[in-house]
Amino acid sequence: MKKKLLSLVLVGAMSTAMLAGCGNSSAPAADSQTPAADTQAPAADTQAPAADTAASDNASAGGNTLSVYAWDPSFNILALKAAEADYKANVDDTFSLNIIEQSQSSDVEQAITLAGSSGDYSQLPDIVLFQDHWFQKYASDYPDAWLSVDDAEVDWNDFGAEKLSYSTVNGVHYGFPVDNGTVIMAYRVDVLEECGYTIDDMTGISWDDFIKIGEEVYAKTGKYLVSMDGDGNDLIYMMLQAEGGSQFKDGKPYITENADLVKVCEKIVEMSQKNVCYLANDWSDYTDQTIQGDMVAGVMNGNWIIPTIQNVPENSGKWEITSMPTLNGGEGYASNGGSSLYITSNCQNPDLAKKFLAYTFGGSTETYDAALRDGGVITCCISAGKSDVYNEGVEYFKNTPIYAQIVEMGSHVNVIEQNDAHYTARTHMAAAIMNAIQGADLMTELKTAEENINFAMGN
Amino acid sequence: MLLRLWLKEVFALSKKNSSVLAKQHRAGWIYLAPAALLIVIMSFWPMIQAFLMSLKTGSSANMQWVEPIFYNYKRMFADKLFIRSVGNTFLYLIIQVPIMLVVAMLLAQMLNNKDLKFKGLFRTCVFLPCAMSLVSYSLIFKSMFATNGLINSVLLNLGLIEQNINFLGTTSTARMIIIIALVWRWTGYNMVFYLAGLQGIEYSVYEAAKIDGANAWQTFWRITVPLLKPTIVMTGIMSINGTLQLFDESVNLTSGGPANSTITMSHYIYQNSFGDFVANFGYASALSFVVFIMVAVLSAINLKVGDKRD
Repeated sequence: MKKKLLSLVLVGAMSTAMLAGCGNSSAPAADSQTPAADTQAPAADTQAPAADTAASDNASAGGNTLSVYAWDPSFNILALKAAEADYKANVDDTFSLNIIEQSQSSDVEQAITLAGSSGDYSQLPDIVLFQDHWFQKYASDYPDAWLSVDDAEVDWNDFGAEKLSYSTVNGVHYGFPVDNGTVIMAYRVDVLEECGYTIDDMTGISWDDFIKIGEEVYAKTGKYLVSMDGDGNDLIYMMLQAEGGSQFKDGKPYITENADLVKVCEKIVEMSQKNVCYLANDWSDYTDQTIQGDMVAGVMNGNWIIPTIQNVPENSGKWEITSMPTLNGGEGYASNGGSSLYITSNCQNPDLAKKFLAYTFGGSTETYDAALRDGGVITCCISAGKSDVYNEGVEYFKNTPIYAQIVEMGSHVNVIEQNDAHYTARTHMAAAIMNAIQGADLMTELKTAEENINFAMGN
Repeated sequence: MLLRLWLKEVFALSKKNSSVLAKQHRAGWIYLAPAALLIVIMSFWPMIQAFLMSLKTGSSANMQWVEPIFYNYKRMFADKLFIRSVGNTFLYLIIQVPIMLVVAMLLAQMLNNKDLKFKGLFRTCVFLPCAMSLVSYSLIFKSMFATNGLINSVLLNLGLIEQNINFLGTTSTARMIIIIALVWRWTGYNMVFYLAGLQGIEYSVYEAAKIDGANAWQTFWRITVPLLKPTIVMTGIMSINGTLQLFDESVNLTSGGPANSTITMSHYIYQNSFGDFVANFGYASALSFVVFIMVAVLSAINLKVGDKRD
């Protein structure tokens, strides 16, 4: 009998031993769940000891080390390295930042989803880089994942108000802005010249003028004047923001009744039908085929698209940037994408994290200058944007000081109503536009889109 | 170490007891127990959890029971995008599965020919696509059918088309490409089952048919197909099951586009949990259960239809 019991215990022990690796984070060994465990890049070469401790637990155990999840080694990670060097040189030379590289932004989002769903935040790093448009959704879904940074010593008025609107929940600050999503309208001036236009002719025009010029450009050169990913269509959001409008009103979708939005959609459909705008099948089609494959004479997107444009060295000196067209003419300003740094609730040393972020991304010209020089990361911190580095001409863009220009444009962007359902709206609106281009009635499609968004939001 | 102890226990137990039958029974159960327990804990328990979750709503950090309790299930009947994804999935099912199974059977019949040279080579060639990762083959098809891709340039250079076709950006062609990709990927897989089935058919049956003057067509339909019936039923169930759970092709080949016209049910479930409609786990679980029921019902019908023993 005793042995029988023992065997039962053994069965139990065997199965639980196998299960332990799956759910419980206290098991130090096989933690296959956290995305960090496998994506853990050989982080920064400067901090060997930090990388060791991170293998068992992402959050640093205190001391002078902070861990951070970030993506894009040629952009965001360079900005973080700039901040680390700045803090090390000027505040504390024992400080180190353990940058845990993620392959894409959605990996960070899924890490939060996973931690939030299991109620176990202990695998999160001290700081995460997070996409702006997603933050509101995650702040409402997983309020326990974040720490407020309201008490950090930062002059919030020194930042673009539009950018801060993403990282503020009910007036409480949660994030430190890293980059700046100000939309640029970049043109191939050599192509424009061929058709008899200059960059000034393209500034402050209306979308109707834009379409007229676009048709000419396509007829003469076979190039489209603008392109976009058709299924992740950001044109709608950007063009509407330039009018000061939003797809949401009082927390609900505001679509068919929204005259500006309807007009914006009409223009996008017209542009696509008249070969002024090319809607690509997906994101890589957009960047690789249309922009780098020389299909377009213009690019309109957040300024983080600049490195993509610059990937074609033989087009150096052929581009210039300006503001967006608007429906009734006049310069338009919008912002799209970008990300901020957030402190997670698992942070072992919140005071250090706040101090570090406040000192660097809170307005240090040294951080921002290095981030710009190394990674082309443009700040939305107004005072930091006035430094000399920002006023240097950029060779690729005909030696015009585009960075100063972008910071200046960024100060004009309208603050509009943001919503958790930003990407839901984008998906359904993109589908409506696609169907309308293929011949469906736009108003019917927009009505369906509005119903679908309402449905998805549970209204 | 654990395992050795465990075996020791098992043998010790069986030695003690008197009745041989009881001994064997007990030993059998003890052998089965760990695996059974693991299946229950790792497979059935999550299914029960998923069902409970399908009755909840809200953020996954703080899920609440929905009011009324089957709201998530009711909700999907009003969900146009879900209905569209069901339509797309069944479209693939109805067109692709019959084509694939018939082609697989014909290929198997051809490769089963006794006089065929290089049989192994041909069999390998047909089976090879199955050795390929779903994601990589989807991406290869995507680049082949891109607007500036291989297929377009071939067609253009042959003078068959005048300008590049946006295959993946047009609803009808995008669906067609998914079906072509599926047929390419899975035909060889099913063929292997048919080949195995054909080995089991006595050659004398064919000889008898030949003597009776049956031609190849008649032999195929009157002898091969009926005798392969169990295999056909099995491949049918597997294909239906696989097609209803179609995911990789929709995600990687077309991203569900254009305008969600190629999105599959599984892709939509993914969208509701990790995609653009993020972290709606309650609703996503409800959708998963409906897909589960669909698979079960279709498989049951298939079994009933296939199992006509007289």
